Amino acid sequence: MKKSEPMSESYYYILLCLAKGANHGYGIMQMTEKLSGGDVIIGSGTMYGATSNMMKKGWIREIMSEGSGLERRRQYQLTESGREALRAEIQRLRRMLENAEGV
Amino acid sequence: MSKQYKRSFRFYSAWNYEREIEDLNRASEQGWQLVHGGCFHNRFVKNPGIRYRYQLDFGKIEDMGRYIETFREQGWEYMNSTFNGWHYLRKLYDPALPEEAYEIFTDRESLHEMNSRWARIALGIGIALALFAVFYAIRFFSRPNLPYGIQLLMFLMESVILLRGSFLMRNPDASRNRRGDSTIVALLLAVIVLGSAASITLSDLRPHFWTEQKAAAIDEPIRDRRWGTFKVKYPDCYYLDLKLEGPSPVTFEVIREDGESVYRASGEHFEEKRIRLVLPRGEYCFSLTCDDAYHVAAELD
Repeated sequence: MKKSEPMSESYYYILLCLAKGANHGYGIMQMTEKLSGGDVIIGSGTMYGATSNMMKKGWIREIMSEGSGLERRRQYQLTESGREALRAEIQRLRRMLENAEGV
Repeated sequence: MSKQYKRSFRFYSAWNYEREIEDLNRASEQGWQLVHGGCFHNRFVKNPGIRYRYQLDFGKIEDMGRYIETFREQGWEYMNSTFNGWHYLRKLYDPALPEEAYEIFTDRESLHEMNSRWARIALGIGIALALFAVFYAIRFFSRPNLPYGIQLLMFLMESVILLRGSFLMRNPDASRNRRGDSTIVALLLAVIVLGSAASITLSDLRPHFWTEQKAAAIDEPIRDRRWGTFKVKYPDCYYLDLKLEGPSPVTFEVIREDGESVYRASGEHFEEKRIRLVLPRGEYCFSLTCDDAYHVAAELD
């Protein structure tokens, strides 16, 4: 497997927020803020760019939520390769952390 | 009744877009709300009862529906896009919200991506214009004349502006958003438009002449037979490619309206290219003198 590049914080948190199920942009934004204790904020421009790029990479896909009319919303769902990318990134971060502890 | 609408014709160079955002925010604070953002002018409506914060984005949007929805989710209203790919966004101002709530690019990578989108296009066009400049430089140095000179200068200026812009856009730490920079760029753009128009007009005014005259035999000698009248409307350098042939010497002259000979060549086998003539305003014609068969080919540009 080719060595993956480090992910940007926004990519990482978006994937993390989708790990347990599909969510819409606003939900991802709120969940990220909560998870990071307010440290990481994903603005709309960053969100649109990151989701566009990750859809191109095939890490996430767009789905329409259940319901009718205004309840129907655009949501993002993690794909298998997205899950793999997230797993690889977590492994990379864990290794780096372990390395730091070993010094 | 006080004015309800206004237009602002301020020009902002792309790498100074943060300055435009600041100005829009300030205008909103003073009661002027942007209704339409344009490349060269902005339209405002008076409404002191409301306050917005603005943001600009650049690039081709592949899925406008998703784009608008992604922004709306966080309170942003997509306003409009300019023909050259800038998007205007606004959000109602709420003093309770922290400053970060009015950012649309919240990490270095995405901001860099947006800046790079513009920088990449500017770099491409800048390089293309630099190639044009090289092409005109070659033309100019082989045949210096006014329209080529102006054109060369314009292409040089355009490519320098864009290459510098591309560099500034890609390097947020570089001295961009400098006061006066946009004004200078706007002035230079005006100069470029005028210069290009002048160069096209001057090119059209330049006489271009090609002629070939020949006779296998003549009954009697020709003395100063005139043909090929042309008008020089502004003084400039012209170039003459000339070929003379005959069993006896053929004389060719370029004569001004007052009868003065500006150039004269003679010979049985004469050929020369790029004979440089500096011609003041006026009317000119060619003249031919020969005793026998002749062949003259002349091109003036």
